[in-house]
Amino acid sequence: MAATAQDSQAPLRGPEKKDEDREDETEFSPFYGIDKGAVLQEARVFNDPQIDPRRCQQVITKLLYLLNQGEVFTKKEAAEVFFGVTKLFQKQDINLRRMMYLCIKDICPGADEVIIVTSSLMKDMNSKVDLFRSNSVRVLCKIIDGQLLAQIERYLKQAIVDKSPVVASAALVSASHLLGNNAEIVKRWINEVQEAAQNKNNMVQFHAVALLHALRASDRLAISKLVTSLTKASVKSPLAQCLLVRYVAQVIQDSQPGANGEQRPFYDFLESCLRHKAEVVIFEAARAICNLRDVTARELTPAITVLQLFLSSSKPVLRFAAVRTLNKVAMTHPLAVTHCNIDMETLISDQNRSIATLAITTLLKTGNESSVEKLLKQIGSFMSDIADDFKIVVVEAIRSLCLKFPTKQRALMNFLSGVLREEGGFEYKKAIVQSILVLIQEIPDAKETGLGHLCEFIEDCEFTYLSTQVLHLLGQEGPKTKEPSKYIRYIYNRIILENATVRAAAVSALANFGAACEPLRPRIIVLLRRALADNDDEVRDRATLHLQQLEGKAGGPDAVQPRLDVNITAMEKALSDYLAGPTDKPFDISVVPKAPPPVRASGSSALGLATSTATNSSGGAAPTSAARKDPTAEYAELLRSIPQLAPLGEVFKSCEPVALTEKDTEYSVFCVKHVYEGHVVFQFNCTNTIAEQVLEDVSVAMDLAEASDFEEAFTVPLDQMPLNGVGQCFTVVTRQPGAIATGKIVNILKFKVKEIDPSTGEAEEEGYEDEYVLEDLEVSPADYVKPTLLGNFRKAWEELDPATEKEDEYGLGTREGLQEAVEAVIGILGMQPCEGSEAVPPNARSHTVLLAGIFVGYQQVLVRMSFGIDATNNVAMKLVVRAESIELSEAIHSIIQDA
Amino acid sequence: MGFFDKLLSLLGLTGRKVNVLVVGLDNSGKTTIIERLKPKPKQAAEVAPTVGFTVDELQKGALTFTVFDMSGAGRYRTLWEQYYREADAVIFVVDSADKLRMVVARDEMEHMLRHPNLRQVPVLYFANKKDIPVAMPPVEIAQALGLDDIKDRPWQIVPSNGLSGEGVDKGIDWLAERLGK
Repeated sequence: MAATAQDSQAPLRGPEKKDEDREDETEFSPFYGIDKGAVLQEARVFNDPQIDPRRCQQVITKLLYLLNQGEVFTKKEAAEVFFGVTKLFQKQDINLRRMMYLCIKDICPGADEVIIVTSSLMKDMNSKVDLFRSNSVRVLCKIIDGQLLAQIERYLKQAIVDKSPVVASAALVSASHLLGNNAEIVKRWINEVQEAAQNKNNMVQFHAVALLHALRASDRLAISKLVTSLTKASVKSPLAQCLLVRYVAQVIQDSQPGANGEQRPFYDFLESCLRHKAEVVIFEAARAICNLRDVTARELTPAITVLQLFLSSSKPVLRFAAVRTLNKVAMTHPLAVTHCNIDMETLISDQNRSIATLAITTLLKTGNESSVEKLLKQIGSFMSDIADDFKIVVVEAIRSLCLKFPTKQRALMNFLSGVLREEGGFEYKKAIVQSILVLIQEIPDAKETGLGHLCEFIEDCEFTYLSTQVLHLLGQEGPKTKEPSKYIRYIYNRIILENATVRAAAVSALANFGAACEPLRPRIIVLLRRALADNDDEVRDRATLHLQQLEGKAGGPDAVQPRLDVNITAMEKALSDYLAGPTDKPFDISVVPKAPPPVRASGSSALGLATSTATNSSGGAAPTSAARKDPTAEYAELLRSIPQLAPLGEVFKSCEPVALTEKDTEYSVFCVKHVYEGHVVFQFNCTNTIAEQVLEDVSVAMDLAEASDFEEAFTVPLDQMPLNGVGQCFTVVTRQPGAIATGKIVNILKFKVKEIDPSTGEAEEEGYEDEYVLEDLEVSPADYVKPTLLGNFRKAWEELDPATEKEDEYGLGTREGLQEAVEAVIGILGMQPCEGSEAVPPNARSHTVLLAGIFVGYQQVLVRMSFGIDATNNVAMKLVVRAESIELSEAIHSIIQDA
Repeated sequence: MGFFDKLLSLLGLTGRKVNVLVVGLDNSGKTTIIERLKPKPKQAAEVAPTVGFTVDELQKGALTFTVFDMSGAGRYRTLWEQYYREADAVIFVVDSADKLRMVVARDEMEHMLRHPNLRQVPVLYFANKKDIPVAMPPVEIAQALGLDDIKDRPWQIVPSNGLSGEGVDKGIDWLAERLGK
């Protein structure tokens, strides 16, 4: 209704104003400061025996204004206004009626009352005036319930195919709204809607196509069919065509990509849209092609060509749309965009800064080595005109460009240092400093110049955070350069001029120089002495410590930069355990497991490779499979350190800890199963929570009645169960080497209790034996399988004997979605997904997952799972297993059956 | 309102406008009677149960009737009172053949007449569907509704047949005469 309502409001709008007095625009509103109470009084005019249509219109306009300003009408007020408005149905004034429709839609009192206008609206629906017909349809569909809808269904059907486009569109739009609650009824109108889709009027066709799509939204197959038929029929309206292009793109997105070389379905259609008359359709099609999943260069070419034409269009919106799309394409297919570089270069001087920035970043991504200098010059000319967040985009683009062309690092580095000296906010400066840091790390040649620029920068840097970061880096990298001495002045200046935090960082940086460069050491010592008189504690402390170290005490110069080669998470745990217990003994760092040789964070290298600028945040995300930590490695060290367990050999797999006690009980016990070739070691992590007791000689006795494949070998008792700390005792059972023994084990915690005498605080001499029944522990086949990485699943699958193949189907019940079901099953099996098959494509109704694992004894197991999901989210799964023996295949199935 | 109507009203030929409220139980024939009052070409062939209300404008002699045709269905009867204040006259339609619900009709009527918003306006009763063999005669209906007790306003009961239009004009003439005074 918005389109038709505009006219009536036009005279009510304030006079057009010049730019200069835009601030006091609100005061020119004819309704500024009107009062609800007064308007409600005015609304009594609706009840006059002689109705003045013009006056009523104005009152309704005021009411609507109040409603849209967020004014709340009480139920009584709303009802009064509403009934007043209904009385106006006696007037046939077109403008008044239009305002009445708006008012009824907006005021909407209770369902019981609003229904009273139904018959009046139905009368209007059959009126001869198009405006009455269209608008009454809209209002009626808004207030109606399912039962009444069935009564007026035939009128609505007629309206959909009405000659007047206004009425037909109104009916179609109303039908889209009704679809939410009365889908069944609307679905019966499909023939009429299809007829409307052939309407010559653009608007009607647009609405009809949208409704046709909405009617089938839940059925992918039907959508595909609809799109097929619509692409063949002639959709003339540009907007409808745009919709169609979007639907086509969706269908392509959902369909499985064809085998290599095979053309995608509908690609021809998209391509033909590129030759459409309307620009909006051309752009929509080009954008759809650019956004195709795994789009190939050949598919891109025609789309890029039309976008290139848009680049030189006289309409800013077309230029913006084109350059924005090209910018996105440049992230994935920089080569495809290079044709447009010449056009894009002219856009750098575009009046519209957004277009210019997008153009420049696109150029930076696609640029070749020779054009870098020219580009930098052009960027420099407008860098001061754009906002900080655009500058950040530019800086990031330069960083990726620099990584791409290391030989150009000098020019780019100079540019970065230039912009670093200019005015800018913290985020912007941070982005520049980060870029320089990355470049220093990635490009060895850039190190010296980069450090030089950073030194200049901290001379005049107002951000403490950045200063300390740079100082730390100088401390790390400076001593390794050819001329370390030249950095010392910069650093020492910080000690004189800056705030305490920066001074402390500078002291540490200086000490690093002293430690790493023997020749400089005496001079550094002199400088550090001056910092001894600093008025900040931290600075003095650091200076004192480093002085001692440099003079050969307190661990000597090597200790200036201590290398902590411990596992940080283990360290944190050990420290918190230490703090929880008595702290009279010093903390022993040697109990903390050593860290594996540091792996270079994948984040920074990914950053380097990513040519994207704005979406760099994704670069930091580590691959998800790496995030699944392997508990086995963590425990291996511990197990090896226990003499009784050492002879058992290498641990095959350690499982996740299982709680054997309820929360908040006297003792808390967790069990970790370690699987060896011929043994299973149960590690019990025990915690005592009762301060009045001392528990000694703790062990776990096992009843293996329901697990006859096992035989108890020995136990490693715990001398004393620590209060609120974790102590370990072990129980070892044997089984046939390599066998997959399963069963349920009953556990009893045995210990000797000594009460603590509350008066003395010491434990009594005499204790007594006690037992505590723990929860049962299950040993399942899943405990014997661990994930393994596999290069070529198909080859490995074919190498395994088909005779070992075992297949079965399972219903997984109602799930949130396929992805959730897939993750759950992978979690149960504990195997490694191969070839990225654990990721379910969006909207997929079926999916196949490939899993690889090894059983104890290093026997390979491969699993192929096919999932399917129906409309009610019921998931079914077909599981096919191949392994080195049929027993293993059965074992996998039993894991699923037990889960 | 067309040009000609305006001209007529200027000359005082169409005279006063009056609001008439048409009420009664559901399926008593309210909408059918209103249709019968319209000029022949405008009459609708079939009548569906009214949901809420409809407004119609009729010419009768020197008077222009604005007729609020209310729905008689149970759930809408409470909404009648919203329109009492403006009513210059009330038409109460009774289904003469529906003996069973005569008490319901009486109940609704009394309820309406007691309502403070309804002024002391003339009430016209149509004893509708008189063509049905089992229809009660108007006298009996007047008795059943207790019309004789109404002393504070003019009223009249007229037997009518909405389908043929018989009696309808007679009733409206009475009303026009009352309102014309």
